[in-house]
Order: sequence, then structure tokens, then C-alpha cells
Amino acid sequence: MKKLSFLFLFCSVAVASMAQNNFLLYSFKGNVSVVENSVESKAKVGKPLAANASVKVTAGAAVTLICNEAAMFTFTKPGNYLLSQFGDSCKVSSSSVSANYVKYVWASMTKTSGSTGSNRKAYMNTVGAVSRSINNIWIDPRLDTLNYTGNSAEFPLSWKSYSDAKNFDFSLYTSDNISTPILSNSVGKLKIPIGEISAKMKPGNSYFWTAAVKGEENDELKIINYVTKETYNAVLETIRKQGASFEAPAEQAYRIAFMLEDAHYLSEAYQYYTKAATLDATNVLYRSTLMSFKKDYEIK
Amino acid sequence: MDKPLHKHISHHARRIHGHITKYLYERDTIFATIWVFLFIVILGSIPLNLGSLNPIKLSLKDFDFNDLAYSKLGQGKNTDLDNNIKIIDIGQANREELAMMLDKGASYNPKVMALDVLFYAEKDPHQDSLIKETFKRNKNLIAATQLIPSGKEGDTISKAGNYINTASKYAYVNLFTDSFSTIRYHEPFLKDYKGTEYKSFSASIIEAYNQEAYEKFEKKAHHKIIINYSRHENQYLIIPWEDLMMDNVDSAALKGKILLFGYISHNKDDISDKFFTPMNHRWYGKSIPDMPGIVVHANIISMALDGNYVKKLPLWANLLIAVLVCWLHMSFFIRYYLESHIWFHLVAKIAQVASAIFFVWLGIYFFGKYRIKVDLKMSLIVIALAVDVIYFYEAWAVWMNKKFGYKTVFKPHHH
Repeated sequence: MKKLSFLFLFCSVAVASMAQNNFLLYSFKGNVSVVENSVESKAKVGKPLAANASVKVTAGAAVTLICNEAAMFTFTKPGNYLLSQFGDSCKVSSSSVSANYVKYVWASMTKTSGSTGSNRKAYMNTVGAVSRSINNIWIDPRLDTLNYTGNSAEFPLSWKSYSDAKNFDFSLYTSDNISTPILSNSVGKLKIPIGEISAKMKPGNSYFWTAAVKGEENDELKIINYVTKETYNAVLETIRKQGASFEAPAEQAYRIAFMLEDAHYLSEAYQYYTKAATLDATNVLYRSTLMSFKKDYEIK
Repeated sequence: MDKPLHKHISHHARRIHGHITKYLYERDTIFATIWVFLFIVILGSIPLNLGSLNPIKLSLKDFDFNDLAYSKLGQGKNTDLDNNIKIIDIGQANREELAMMLDKGASYNPKVMALDVLFYAEKDPHQDSLIKETFKRNKNLIAATQLIPSGKEGDTISKAGNYINTASKYAYVNLFTDSFSTIRYHEPFLKDYKGTEYKSFSASIIEAYNQEAYEKFEKKAHHKIIINYSRHENQYLIIPWEDLMMDNVDSAALKGKILLFGYISHNKDDISDKFFTPMNHRWYGKSIPDMPGIVVHANIISMALDGNYVKKLPLWANLLIAVLVCWLHMSFFIRYYLESHIWFHLVAKIAQVASAIFFVWLGIYFFGKYRIKVDLKMSLIVIALAVDVIYFYEAWAVWMNKKFGYKTVFKPHHH
């Protein structure tokens, strides 16, 4: 009897592990095709797809699939997607209505809605005007051009969102191809440290970057110039030479920081602002400038 | 030595049980309970609308706790895609384009086609003649019409919106509610003064698609039926009409199925043919309509095809629950009122909040698990009234005691 029970359990586990997800092509736009059993065909709405099929998405196209008739997910980036690799997307939340009720009551009882003055993020997003654009992302114009030397990995590329979105797409392009990104990252925050993308860049080249609410597009591109050490050293030397002969070290650091910021060497400027504030900790101007710089560029 | 945990628990359980049951069978508890219901009857009998300026009453007019299950607790979130129903989003198509898409839809051999569009008057003669021919050609097409009740009893019925009059079947798309209320109920059949029966859009589609499901639907829904919303818009396959025209649709997905043609607004600011449903994300107060009319019809059809009806507990059962709830609370409140009066108000308020949370959950649980709609509003009202009625009852009981020797646990000038 015990053996039979084990056999039954083993069979159940085996059947469960062999069970494959079924997909259904829910909708698509642009040029999307489906490859099943090595045969490529045009995508069609309502077409059931097996787990061993793959979906080809070209630039500008998007496709939405439903897994096991319940979980919906979308591919918006160009590429060839093997559906068997998206088993995770088939999972649906299994928490019961009762459990959700307890969570809801607790959240409602413990959360204060606050007033307009106390919670600006929640109340200041309602606007009294029509929109002629669907761009929900604002990138500070000061980040229009960034000269990067590879010195600091922490300096963030940041943006602001007008929507309540929680996920954003960060894309990096080469200067000669702005249709296919060389890097696409899904980001949960409103910034990405430059160190996370530096591996994709080579000194002496220029790149474009942008951020968009997940599933949306943002045509606004910003420039990153990955400058060589030699170029940077030449710029720094020129800035150094412009100082007065009686300049104190803190004063010099502050001046260099200001001029580097003006020359779009932002991560290097940050290092010099920090240096100035450290060398003369009593100077309110150095400290407040550093604080403002950190706030403006979302440096934590 | 400390007592083990289970003894602590059983000790406290016995204590609470004692608090609730000590006065349970007292005459005062039973009479105070009766007084709560008398108050409800008396207040309800006043022939004036005392709530006409009451913002709470006005805002709760269209309120149902079960809506919470749909909008916040994920009820229906994981329901499978309905494979029987496919929706064609007609967008802003004109009559000629509608004719073309109906013919295209018919070429996929669906079992039933239904067009949720009203045509009130003539337009371009060329377009009108095209769609008239299409209507005539497709015998499996159900077209929409609007019923206009008139006469003193509203039982004289005329039709509108059927200017294109060549379809073999017409069915009414009235939802019998004002456009600001939540669509909870559906009346699938309507009779005029002559006894002529009219069928709703969804009833006609069910009849044409699945006779067995229709017979059950007819029995269940002869007067008025609660709509069991099981699917959001994206739990139906919605096909833009351009995709249909360009053959971007898998033919197997449409063959032998129900093909609903209707307008799906993708812009949250466009509320044409959009309605408030229990699935609205905001379940109380002001909101914007959340569900396109065609998806409301689809939900009714899904309910009938899945046999997924909601059973409503009869009034007497809801009343019985309210009486039991009131009786238990009254016993508990009287115990604190008489023996620990200093704690009475605090305990009563905590008990009211805890009971409200518990009974709302109970209602949602029965609705979600067994699809039984229990109206616990009365239970919540009696819990709220019980505390105030105790004061009135004390005065009444003491007066009765003085006048007629009525035996009571309340003492004169207790409070």
C-alpha cells in the first residue's frame, strides 16, 4: 500500500512537471510572426501556440499573449522569443479573496490619505488641461548632454514620471542607430546608475539614451559622450590653469567642480563639489551647492 | 507555574462566551431586540424622504459590499478567457464599414453574430442599402433595438434604433437602469400589455448559441437576474475590426463561436456606451464608467453558458440573520451596560467595528465561494442601532416597571 502511494505521488509529480503551458496570441501590432515546428507564419489574433513555439517581433511591433487563458504579458522589444522560456509569466496570483480582504482592511485602517499640502505626490498630479502628447516622462534638460569618463559608476541618469507607473524601460542607443537599442533594461526606480550601462559603451564614442513608462515610447533622446582619459585630462588641465594664484584647495575644488558641471562632466563635478565641501566643512555655500547638486541629479 | 497556552485561550474564550451569553435569555435582551426592529419599521414608515439631504445616504444609495470583492479583492481576476465569445471592436466604423465587417465576420462561420449598434434614422442611401443587404444575407445575425415603454403603466412598447430593418432577428439592448447606477441586474424578458414577449440581446444570443443553456437561463431569469460579472474586458478576445478585415485572425478562433460586434472605448475619457459595474476600480463615491456595454452583454452570456448564476438569499433569511446578530449583540452590550458601564461605549464601538468587518467578510465569502448573495445591510444597521436603543429601552423598562410591575434587570436612574 505504501509503495502504491509513493508510485501515485511520483506519477502525479511527473505529470505536473511535464504539463506544458498553452499560449494564445491575444493581440499584436506591426510585423509579428510565429515559428512553430520550424515553420514561420504570420501572426494571427486568437491563434493558440504551444510552449515550443517562438514569436518574432520586429522593431516598432508589439504582441500580447495569454498563457493558460489567464496570465497576460506583452513583448514590445524587437527579438525572437521562445515561449518555453516564459513559464514564469504564466503564474497568476493565487491569494484568496479572504486573504485579500484582510490585507485591504488592514491597509485601509493604517493608511492615511493626507492632505494636499502634506502629500504632494498624491494630489498634485491632477492637471486641468488637455494633452497633446503621451510622453509621461520628463528628463531634466541639464542631462541633455553628459560627458562621461568612466570614473564614477554611481552617478545616476534620472527622470521624472507624470504617471503612477512603477516600471520603466531604459534604452541605450549608438549614435548611428536609434532604432535598435544596444541595451534595454527594465527599471523599477526613476534612475539608473551609469555604471550599469558603462559596459556597453566604449571610450571615444557617443550614445543616446532615453527612458519611458513600461509599454510606452519616448522619442526624447539624451546624449552621453564617453570621453577618453586623455580628452578629460586635457579639459581638467585647462580648467586648473584658469585659477588665481592665491586659490585655496577648497576654493580650487569648488571652481573646478563648477566649470566641470558647465562642461557637462557631471559625475566628475560631483567629486569636486564633494571635495570642496569636505576641505572646508564650515563653508555654507559649498555645502548647500553640494546638497542642491545631489538633489538635482537624484544622487543619494 | 504558568498555565499552558491552550488553557489561557480556553479560559478567555469561556470569559467572552460568558460576556455574550450571560444576558442572552433575559426578557430584556429579547424585548430590546424587538425594539430595534420596531424602530427600523417606524423610521422606515415615515412617508418622507428624510435622507434627501443626507450625503451619506445619497452616496450609499448605489452601494453594495460585494462590489469590494470584484474591485479590490481580485474576484474574477483569474477567470479564464471565454472561448465561446469573441468581440469585434467596431471602433468608429460607418454603416458601409459595418456591412463589410459583418460579411467578413460571417466568412469565418461563427455560429451567432450580434451587432450592438442602433440605427435611428436614414443616412447615406448607398451605405444604408449596403448594410440592409448584409442584414438580409446573414441569417445568424442578431441586431439591436431599443424598447421605448409608454402609457401609464409603461406596458405599451414601441421600438427604436431599428431603422435598418432587414435583419432576421432583433433583440432589445435596454439595461433598465439609469446611466449613473451600477448595472447589477438584468431583465432578459419583457412583456407588453398584450402579452407580447420581447427578448434581450443577451437572451437572444444564448438562445441561438446553446438551447440547453437558454432553457436554464429562461427558468432562472424569468423576471430579473443578478449579473455575475466574471470577466473584465481583457478576459475576452477583443479583435480590432481592421485586424478582422485584414485576415489577421485565426479562423479556428471564430468558427462556431459567438461573434459580438460592439464599440470598445480605449480612452478612459470616452464614456460612450460605457457603464458602471461592480468591477469598477473605485467601488464607492464618484467614479467614471468602467465597462463597455458589449462586455456587459458578454458577461451575461458567459454567466448563462457557464451556468454560473448568483443565488440571492430570500428576505426572510436575511431578516433571520439580522435578528440573530442583533440578539447576540444586545446581550453583549447589556452585560457591559449593567456591569462595566465605564467601558460600555468603548467596548460597544470596538464591537461594532469588529462586527462590521466580520459581517462584510462573511457576505463577500459567501458571494465568492458559493455565489450566494447575502444582504447583510440589515445586520449592520441593527448593530449600529442597538447601542442607542439600549438607552431608550432602559427608560421604557423602568417606566413599565413602575407602572405595571414589569420585571427588568435595569434599575431606575441607572445611567
